[in-house]
Amino acid sequence: MRQPETRPSLIIKLTDQRNELAWAEFLCAYEPFLIQLVRRRGTPERHVSDVTQQLLMAIAKTVEGWKPDGREASFRRWLSRVARNVALKYLIRERRQISGQGGTEFLQQMEREPDLADHERQDGQYEHELIVWAAEQVRGEFRESSWKAFWATQVEGKSVADAAAEIGVSAGSIYMSRSRIFARIREKIDEVL
Amino acid sequence: MSLNRISCDSELLRLSLSDRLSEQQEESLTLHLAECVACQRELERLAGQQNDWDKVRQALRHELESSQGGEHDLQRLDRSAEREVAADEDAAVDFAVDFLEPSSAPGAIGRIGDIDILEVIGRGGMGVVLKGYQPELKRLVAVKVLAPHLAVSGSARQRFSREAQATAAIMHPNVVPILTVHSTGKLPFLVMPFLACESLHDRIVRQGALELVDILRIGLQTAQGLAAAHAQGIVHRDVKPANILLEKGVDRAMLTDFGLARAIDDASITRTGVIAGTPQYMSPEQARGDAVDARSDLFSLGSVLYTMATGRSPFRAESTYGILRRITDSRPRAIREINPGIPSWLISLIEKLLAKQPSQRFGSALDVAALFEQCLAHVQQPAAATLPDYCLPMRRKAWLKWLRRKRWTLGAMGLGAVSVALLLFVFRFLNPAVPLQSEVARPNESTVRSSPSAAAIPEWNATAQELRELDRDAAPFESRVGRLWDRSSAPVSPESNLPSTPSTDMESKP
Repeated sequence: MRQPETRPSLIIKLTDQRNELAWAEFLCAYEPFLIQLVRRRGTPERHVSDVTQQLLMAIAKTVEGWKPDGREASFRRWLSRVARNVALKYLIRERRQISGQGGTEFLQQMEREPDLADHERQDGQYEHELIVWAAEQVRGEFRESSWKAFWATQVEGKSVADAAAEIGVSAGSIYMSRSRIFARIREKIDEVL
Repeated sequence: MSLNRISCDSELLRLSLSDRLSEQQEESLTLHLAECVACQRELERLAGQQNDWDKVRQALRHELESSQGGEHDLQRLDRSAEREVAADEDAAVDFAVDFLEPSSAPGAIGRIGDIDILEVIGRGGMGVVLKGYQPELKRLVAVKVLAPHLAVSGSARQRFSREAQATAAIMHPNVVPILTVHSTGKLPFLVMPFLACESLHDRIVRQGALELVDILRIGLQTAQGLAAAHAQGIVHRDVKPANILLEKGVDRAMLTDFGLARAIDDASITRTGVIAGTPQYMSPEQARGDAVDARSDLFSLGSVLYTMATGRSPFRAESTYGILRRITDSRPRAIREINPGIPSWLISLIEKLLAKQPSQRFGSALDVAALFEQCLAHVQQPAAATLPDYCLPMRRKAWLKWLRRKRWTLGAMGLGAVSVALLLFVFRFLNPAVPLQSEVARPNESTVRSSPSAAAIPEWNATAQELRELDRDAAPFESRVGRLWDRSSAPVSPESNLPSTPSTDMESKP
């Protein structure tokens, strides 16, 4: 569980109120994803919040370097890019050694440039983590039978007719449910990116 | 094709993606989709590019493959609901065991303060409910313990104890009392009497829609409980059938979980960004995340009444977001369609409670209670008690009002007609040789009977009598309603507040 009292350490000075809001929204959406990402990389449970914290601080640190590019939602787009890079670096480091450590050593390691080849390979991994995370998030928003319909036809590769008979719903409702769930997964990913 | 009740409509498909269809639209689109390949494709295209579909499919397939065999945390994605419930129950027991001190009392699983804990009754969004026994006072109690993840947040703790203390101040037969609040320990908890009861939710699940008398009685008592809370400045925020307890053997409904919804909302929304529990009974202002006041509870009360009348909640959808959108945007299915036995006056009361705009609902829970009291009396003894004016159908109401306003004019007209008739009669009786004009035209008819004025005498007498009775009946209620409306903050007069048609109430006005 996240320790609420560590939050103030992440508060960064942003002059623009809109950006401050964007930062708060970003944290709200991104932090749960990072926690899961860190946990799923095999980090021991007692280090999960620490490592997540380090990642968020790495993101926060770079905020000072931000310059508006003059286009819409510049801060938000920039923030997603930074977050993505920080997460990618983490994925690469994590592969080389089990990251249980925290503190400055970890941060320094985060700042070193990883190999380009690793970067590309991990890009797909990052996307994969996002999709899986988003799917878990939206699952609870739907009826059990709708989720089963989505899972059976999209993941297990069953035909709509078979799934309909198995779950006990109509074929038409399967078409509707699975598109709805897919659209929500995409929405969820967009909230983070 | 005969099954295709609707033609292809991409706007409808677009709306269906965000779960914004009405129930009828959803039904017909489901039928249509089963048959129409073009629409199946279009719906998928609208949901996202083929490339994105493939990515999601591949990612989840890959997860499924890598998770097969071992217990991977992602197994959750394919776990059945039953297993989750079982896991939840285990967690509740674990939690109780961790939290309790050992007890030497026979049959007890542990002890909190001076209470021997006998069993875990349930687990809700806010924590665990335990059944306990206080040996000194020889009474059974229910103990609600705030969940650990809420207890770590200082503001949630503060709010928990503040709201619990405020609720403890409400003394009302329709509010489950709070006996004590312990907010200083590791986990805050509150103690309530243990009641032999079932929740309204369980009752509706068990037997479906309720009898009219029960709907009115439970509605009345809930409104009374709410009025007592509102008088203390407390908004319940989570009025729903599961929070209305029905005592066994006694016709009494009691509200529980006052204000606690707030403590949970704050902590869980900031924690995860999602809404805890079912939002089905939320008001539109709650669903939008706006500020709420007592009138929000009135909307939820309307949803509860709807559920009692039909056996199903008014705003239903496939997803949480769909439910929230229905609450803010659409009218529920007409009560009459589901249960034709519900009288129209009750339907219009419920519809007014379910007005999207708080200002279009009743002024206060007290007003609602007063109306329900009258309605209940009428249903129990139709001869002795009339329905409140508010509940009379519009046409009859307007007609009675007109009659009452014009009673002197009408009386005078009646008197005039009677006098004329009398004069004519006397004149003819005294002077039968002189025929009336009508007799010239229709010589065969009996003149006395055909005289319209003379025939009207008993009718006018009866009408005058009815008017006097109506006046007598209406006087006490009118003065009462007058008082109620004066007290309520409603900026409009009772007359202008009446819906011209019930439907106008239900549409949100920008």
